[in-house]
Amino acid sequence: MTGIATAVDIALNSLVLGGVFLIVAIGLNIIYGLSRVMNLAHGSLFAIGAYTGYTLVASGLNFFVALLITPIIAGFVGLILERMIIAPMRKRSMIYTLILTYGLMFFLDGMIKQTWGNEPRFIELPIFMGETLSILGTHYPVFRLVTLAITAVVMIALMLFLNKTRLGIILRAASTIPEMVSCLGFNMNYVHIGAFVLGSALAGVAGIIAGPLTTIDPLMGHEMLISSFVVIVIGGLGSLRGAVYAAILIGVVQTLAEFFITDLAMVIVYMMMAVILAFRPLGLLGEGKFE
Amino acid sequence: MRKVLKISLCVAIVFLLVIPQLAVAEDPVKIGVLVPLTGIVAQGGLEMKYGIEMAAAEKGTVLGRPIELLVEDTQVKPPIAVTKAEKLVYKDDCKALIGVFSSGVGLAISKNIDKLNVPFLSTHVMTTKFYSLHPLVFRSGQLANDQTAVGNVKGIIARPDLKDRNYYVIVHDYSWGHDAGERFIALAKENGIKIYNEDYDKAPIKTKDWSSYISKIKASGVDGIYMAFITNVIPVFAKQAADFGLQAQGIKLVSAAAPGPLELEAGGEACYGIFGASDWSWDVNNPISDKWELDFFEKYKTIPSDAAVHSYVGAMNLFNAIEKAGNTDAKAIADALRGISYDGPYGTVRISAKDNCMRNDAVLTETMAAPDNPFGAKVYMKVLETFKAEELGPPE
Repeated sequence: MTGIATAVDIALNSLVLGGVFLIVAIGLNIIYGLSRVMNLAHGSLFAIGAYTGYTLVASGLNFFVALLITPIIAGFVGLILERMIIAPMRKRSMIYTLILTYGLMFFLDGMIKQTWGNEPRFIELPIFMGETLSILGTHYPVFRLVTLAITAVVMIALMLFLNKTRLGIILRAASTIPEMVSCLGFNMNYVHIGAFVLGSALAGVAGIIAGPLTTIDPLMGHEMLISSFVVIVIGGLGSLRGAVYAAILIGVVQTLAEFFITDLAMVIVYMMMAVILAFRPLGLLGEGKFE
Repeated sequence: MRKVLKISLCVAIVFLLVIPQLAVAEDPVKIGVLVPLTGIVAQGGLEMKYGIEMAAAEKGTVLGRPIELLVEDTQVKPPIAVTKAEKLVYKDDCKALIGVFSSGVGLAISKNIDKLNVPFLSTHVMTTKFYSLHPLVFRSGQLANDQTAVGNVKGIIARPDLKDRNYYVIVHDYSWGHDAGERFIALAKENGIKIYNEDYDKAPIKTKDWSSYISKIKASGVDGIYMAFITNVIPVFAKQAADFGLQAQGIKLVSAAAPGPLELEAGGEACYGIFGASDWSWDVNNPISDKWELDFFEKYKTIPSDAAVHSYVGAMNLFNAIEKAGNTDAKAIADALRGISYDGPYGTVRISAKDNCMRNDAVLTETMAAPDNPFGAKVYMKVLETFKAEELGPPE
């Protein structure tokens, strides 16, 4: 394998890894930015997305059809959680929702384990996605390239929604000056619901695309939650643009570190987070919103 | 009147002497079962529990008393496992502890064994530190790291498709992984097997995406991988390696631990071609093994696993030792455990009187498409070679 082939491998691995982090972190950021809820059960919604995708594909649906249905189901789960558990606590201090969602995480993980068991699951992919593609001397799995494409489509769609649609613009405004949006006659309850549903749907998308990349197990959401926290801390809490840069940065740093200094890979990622927290507490672009 | 009084007194004395004995006869012998039922190896823990339960049901009684198993979840966390062990001994009055998955957890309990003062028999701890660790600490279960390394090195030498390859060593970053990697590297070098990276890779236990490691392996140009991963990660790594076309390019995988059957089923075809030494697979054919497999499947409706069989045999050794001791005194049970043996599904499993750890025959297996079988398994560990206990050591 040539140096160029290895470099291509590393670059693609970084983007794929960063892409999954990005979708999860953006979902978490949207929920925080719009409804000021730090959702510690977000990783469990990611796992629910993965298991839902697995179940749909195992029941005979095409992977791409499952990819369209999964976020709807994850969004619906988010809607139920928001209405039944989060909304009644919204008026209280953020610490209440923090503790509440922490408990919710264990509850959802328990439900996942009860429903699907402990053993790892793998999503069966269409045959063409099981092949490898030769790129500059390396054989790269097609489904990883498809994952990259899905990430790009999701992000472009999200940006278009937030920047070009009336609803998206209202949501963005609500994240900056919620009082003004409320004064203009918009019901902030709908904004909160929309944020939770959108964030949960994004967790669902990330879950189904991460399933074939890694493996599906009841605790898969825990590690992803930690990684997405690293992304939003580096990118700035509530900053969508910052999250994009941070996810790519973490993908690159983690992949390079795992390749060159294997034993210290995660130490380097967390050190980077600590340095950014110390010197740029509002994130890479200085757009973070801490309350 | 005096006669009546005398008779009444005699009856009372007989009652006083006999009634407590009857009560004791009905008191169960309590055994503390420590297994992980939540966390990363929960499936293995459940299978261990099944194996111990099956042994208890088969054995029925010890010392004429029923066996009562008290099961606690270690969560594979040493401090939690120690707390649970204390609860089982101090509160529940368990006379022995059995089970435990993970060397870290096993060593943590062993550290507290003087305080606990009951025999502790581990069935799923592979660290070599368990040899002669403490008079109350025993192993009867999965092969230790040194025994697995011997089996794997012998297997590599015996198999033309594994011999003369350059092996990349990658392990999980904790005590067992390090021990397994180092044992293999040392023995492989002694036997002329090429090792690409003597300063082997250590991957965090929580690694989910193995792509960076796989790219590194691809770039190294090796044609063999020696991996020491927690059992449920083996199919995950194998699948991701297959996604990158490693196995298709002729790279062979040798594992320091046996993958669980349900994990192999989940991994499917990507899990074909994993070699490794272990005590048992359901491809081991002898009347005891064949019967045990069917009984296990009948009872639990799941594919018989090595985690279950290790725990079953370990429990049988423990129950027989209590019987042999004649009482539930810790020292008496420990003395009885030394040198005891049980003829089970993988032959005679004897606990060495020298170092408290088991000696038994083992097999080298390769995972492949399963033939028709009563368990409905699609992937199985085919037995390729058999090793005698004396070959695996350590010498006594």
